[in-house]
Amino acid sequence: MKVDADGFSFDFTDALDAFVFDEKDKTKPTYHGQPMKAVDIIAEFPDAYIFVEMKDFNDPAAYDTKDFSTEEELKAKRAGFKWLKNYLKYKCRDTYLFRHAEQKAEKPIHYICLLTFDNALNTAVRKTLSKELPVGLASKRWKQELVKSCQVVNVAKWNENFPKWPVSHTPGTGEA
Amino acid sequence: MLEKIKFEKFTAFEKLEVKFSPGINIFVGENGTGKTHILKVAYAACDIAKSKGGFAEKINNVFYPSGKQIGRLVKRSSVSSNGSLEVVRKLDDGKKIALRLSLSNHTTKPDKAKISGSPKAWTESPMEAAYIPVKDMMANAPGFRSLYEEREIHFEEIYVDIIRKAFLPLLKGPTDKPRKQLLESLQEAMDGKVVAKNEEFFLRSKHGELEFTLLAEGFRKMGLLWILIQNGTLLNGSVLFWDEPETNLNPRLMKTVVGILLELQRLGVQIFLTTHDYVILKEFDLQTKKDDNILFHSLYRTKDTGEIEVASTDDYLKLSPNAIDDTFGSIVDREIEKSMEGLGK
Repeated sequence: MKVDADGFSFDFTDALDAFVFDEKDKTKPTYHGQPMKAVDIIAEFPDAYIFVEMKDFNDPAAYDTKDFSTEEELKAKRAGFKWLKNYLKYKCRDTYLFRHAEQKAEKPIHYICLLTFDNALNTAVRKTLSKELPVGLASKRWKQELVKSCQVVNVAKWNENFPKWPVSHTPGTGEA
Repeated sequence: MLEKIKFEKFTAFEKLEVKFSPGINIFVGENGTGKTHILKVAYAACDIAKSKGGFAEKINNVFYPSGKQIGRLVKRSSVSSNGSLEVVRKLDDGKKIALRLSLSNHTTKPDKAKISGSPKAWTESPMEAAYIPVKDMMANAPGFRSLYEEREIHFEEIYVDIIRKAFLPLLKGPTDKPRKQLLESLQEAMDGKVVAKNEEFFLRSKHGELEFTLLAEGFRKMGLLWILIQNGTLLNGSVLFWDEPETNLNPRLMKTVVGILLELQRLGVQIFLTTHDYVILKEFDLQTKKDDNILFHSLYRTKDTGEIEVASTDDYLKLSPNAIDDTFGSIVDREIEKSMEGLGK
């Protein structure tokens, strides 16, 4: 099942369904149209859903808060990192709400962010994002999870770990 | 300035050629891919340009093979074999000269190894070089030099060499402005400056003088860098070799250290580093300016032959394979394995 979005082409070969979740085309049955944040793609499998959000960065270093030369730079980077974290967090939460209203949040959900960072920086984003989403049964009062897991990977790691869902940059979008 | 290095059947290398940056060369790779060996050979070549000693003997002293049998540096093989190495250097007038060492696994003594290329021209143009080893030697300095001269002790020569460099007297005349600034940033990071008394080093701060044995190892390393800058070892045209600068250094201090190394490069010092550390790599990636010269060299073993090869790039993001980031990659893999239970596989 092929899906193109935001400069990436996916093939979810074993999916029951896969579609652009933040669909802007009003003529399509999957048109989103609500004032809510939305992940790029949802794919459904017999025992799980995956939410996929992609972001292709020109300057990954702009989000790396471990490395900085001046206090201003650190401030800007912290702001950048916080923006990115919030961007990914609220997209996932709003998408969950939308799916809840659709009565399509009954299976475990895995949230996968495809970011063009190196593995080290992706690991840092994953740690913060997992904590704030939050992942799993975060509260003792919760009976079900919002998301079962959160992963942050680059294209190479995606393809290594999800061979049934190959991804590549869509030809003509500036990346090979 | 060193331009390139070539090996054939020497230590871990079957056949390898590495072209150097005139600025900073950063070697990454898993353990056993020969990063330190490259540094040691290049250092030996630089050192004899000034000391005018024998190249084979210097190589033997910095590697210290068992029984000091130089032939043991030939790559191990089931049959008799010959090994060689070559270092190419560019002189100030632009002329390139080479220094070659050839030996067999049966060569027992350095004077039986063959030296070719331009050994005479090599020593006619001296160059200053310093090699900072992984293990700190500053705290062990008292008496170590004389012990090394008098007795046969099992230490690679790089250890005594760095102590010798540290005890060099100050340059005559006032310290020029750029070096003064470098010294000041180091003093700020260490909260003091280094003084030597009777072969012993102390960090002098507003709280008093603290002997190096009582200092954190990271500060000892910064102190050593301070000394090498202060006594003029690291001047334009000199070469600095630093094996794993990150060892015992607080990640917060890396920013200062990398900034100083970049500045030394801008002053004309050629630098060779090995590292296993992500923060160091990223610091170079982030602090590099447009006209800086940096090459990242990734040493790796090929999957088919198992031999060591090198991939060099000036763009950190294009460094591949990247043994350091691959370690983070393996954490990503294990995390996915653990929490997604085979989905998408």
